[in-house]
Amino acid sequence: MESFLFTYPARKSIDRPAHVGVVGSGDLEIILEPNDQSTTEVSIRTHVTGHKATWEAVIQRFFEQHDIAANVKINDFGATPGMVAMRLAQAVEVSSYD
Amino acid sequence: MIKSLKASFTECSGRERAVELLDSEGYRELLSPFDGVESPHLEKQGIVPQSDDGVIVAKGTINGHSAVVISIEGKFQGGGIGEVSGAKIAGTLEQVLADCEAGRKTFPVLIYDTGGVRLQEANYGLLSIAEISAAIVALRRHVPVIGVIPGKIGAFGGMSITAGLCSAVIMTKEGRLGLNGPEVIEQEAGIREFDSEDRQLIWGTIGGEQRTATGFADLLIEDDTEAVKEAVTSVINGDKTFPQRTEQVKRYNDFLRLVEPSQRLSFKDVRELWKQSENNSTAANRTSDGTLSNGRGLIWFNMLRGVAEEIGDLPSVRVSDSSIGESKVRYIAVVPDGNNYFPRARNGELGLLEGWSIAKHIREAIEEDREGEKRAIIAIVDVPSQAYGYHEELLGIHQACAAAVDAYASARLAGHPVISFIPGNAISGAFLSHGMQSNRIIALNDPGVNVHVMSKQSAARITQRSLEELEIASKKVPAMAYDVNSFEKLGALYSLVDEIEADAPGNKDRELIYQEISRAIEDVRDRSVNDLSNRLTSDLATEGGRAASILVREKLFAQWK
Repeated sequence: MESFLFTYPARKSIDRPAHVGVVGSGDLEIILEPNDQSTTEVSIRTHVTGHKATWEAVIQRFFEQHDIAANVKINDFGATPGMVAMRLAQAVEVSSYD
Repeated sequence: MIKSLKASFTECSGRERAVELLDSEGYRELLSPFDGVESPHLEKQGIVPQSDDGVIVAKGTINGHSAVVISIEGKFQGGGIGEVSGAKIAGTLEQVLADCEAGRKTFPVLIYDTGGVRLQEANYGLLSIAEISAAIVALRRHVPVIGVIPGKIGAFGGMSITAGLCSAVIMTKEGRLGLNGPEVIEQEAGIREFDSEDRQLIWGTIGGEQRTATGFADLLIEDDTEAVKEAVTSVINGDKTFPQRTEQVKRYNDFLRLVEPSQRLSFKDVRELWKQSENNSTAANRTSDGTLSNGRGLIWFNMLRGVAEEIGDLPSVRVSDSSIGESKVRYIAVVPDGNNYFPRARNGELGLLEGWSIAKHIREAIEEDREGEKRAIIAIVDVPSQAYGYHEELLGIHQACAAAVDAYASARLAGHPVISFIPGNAISGAFLSHGMQSNRIIALNDPGVNVHVMSKQSAARITQRSLEELEIASKKVPAMAYDVNSFEKLGALYSLVDEIEADAPGNKDRELIYQEISRAIEDVRDRSVNDLSNRLTSDLATEGGRAASILVREKLFAQWK
């Protein structure tokens, strides 16, 4: 297991918290919670070690495209980068539902 | 309206199942992912935890009836029950019980998708499952407890025993219900006994259709969300009631007597035998004449009973009525019987006949003492495991275990002091069935006393670790260790007795154990608390042994209203 913490500047706050996914084979769990700061903090725990660079690239790209201020918790059980991006998009969508 | 499309319930995640089953209005999840109560034991072992620890608890209504749904997420750690997930289930049922006792009727529904105890948290899972079982038995006096097994994983291990305690078990064809999973049987008993890759064999033995046809499940439904809701509602509003399996000791005993285990039974044979057993069978009680090894269970049983007569009906389940001081007691011990009618139970394992025999002798005592002094029930525990085998699963060993669990719990609830005395091994499903439902547990402080959920070899294979890795992990998490001193730290023991000759006890040793048992009986009678709450209020439990179990309950109760 490995853990990382990434922080990015952010402006728009999200409407409500969101929870998607499960910590199951090839999947991950994402918890998105609003914060009132101008940063997004992403804390990641992953079952698969040795892929910090990939994580950083995927996460950074996503938050460059989505300017949201939130606390993001990721619990990963071997999701592929594509899966990670889709779950993140899903979490953002859920957080803006009415 | 013509219903053209089915909405699969099995394909839903644990949370979606809870959402689907409850009415949308008033749906409220307790200890949700945002509360972040995760397992404190996994990260230490390099395993990523989940924010809800794999159990979803949601309050609301089902077609207008006040209800709580407990849904297990099978994809997280195989739905394994750890300290937090176990406490969420047990704590919820305890709270439902409190509500029912206060006149607020709430219907509990358990949606199973679990392999049983989470091996990484071992004895925490075992303790939790005992508490879940205790709560189900107590709750059934107020409301039906409904178990749903939709499928993917199913209900296995200790959790299959809790399913066996439910008032109604609802399954789909895809659901599976059994004590030992196919891989575990193959590991413990060999591939000839059970080929864990043979899907037809697996579903034929423990699948929903077979279980419903052979007396181990009540309703077989389509894998459809509406069908699940309909079936659950039919039990809630009393349209459908079923005889309590665990109380039908005679029927299941008759059923087992019809079996000839020297030949491999087919799935179809069992369906026939189950039908036959309905008409008071005349089959003789076929027990062996018993070649007995002198294990600690038998040594202590003989030592403690002294000259009192034996009244058991199986060589492997020894029963005797005696007294300690002023108190009347019934001793029950499970011992090896080298000629056991079921070959997989010849080394002292708790098997089919053993579970039902324990149930029979406890229920007898409850009946006889209905009016008078409630005698103490003393379980002498030296059990290497439950029996692993094809016939065991086919004939419902989880139900035999549930029958024993229910009998012990019912005795406790009826006011019998139930005391466990552990001079040897107390392992897995066997310990859950014989010893874990007692008011007080006494163990010998001896290297030959072990408490755990699965043999080291099997646990290593199932969790995909080497034996060395397992040893290292058990140093970090005492609940994973096998020795009784580690178990003591969890706070469930009433006393750990030093300096006893465990293998060859003398009169002095016997006197000491009599004293301990007497002290425990008096303690139970003085406090007149007949649930298992003392395991959470003991000094060792509150000082950290059960920290997460206590925290989960506190948070759950705070969010309950």
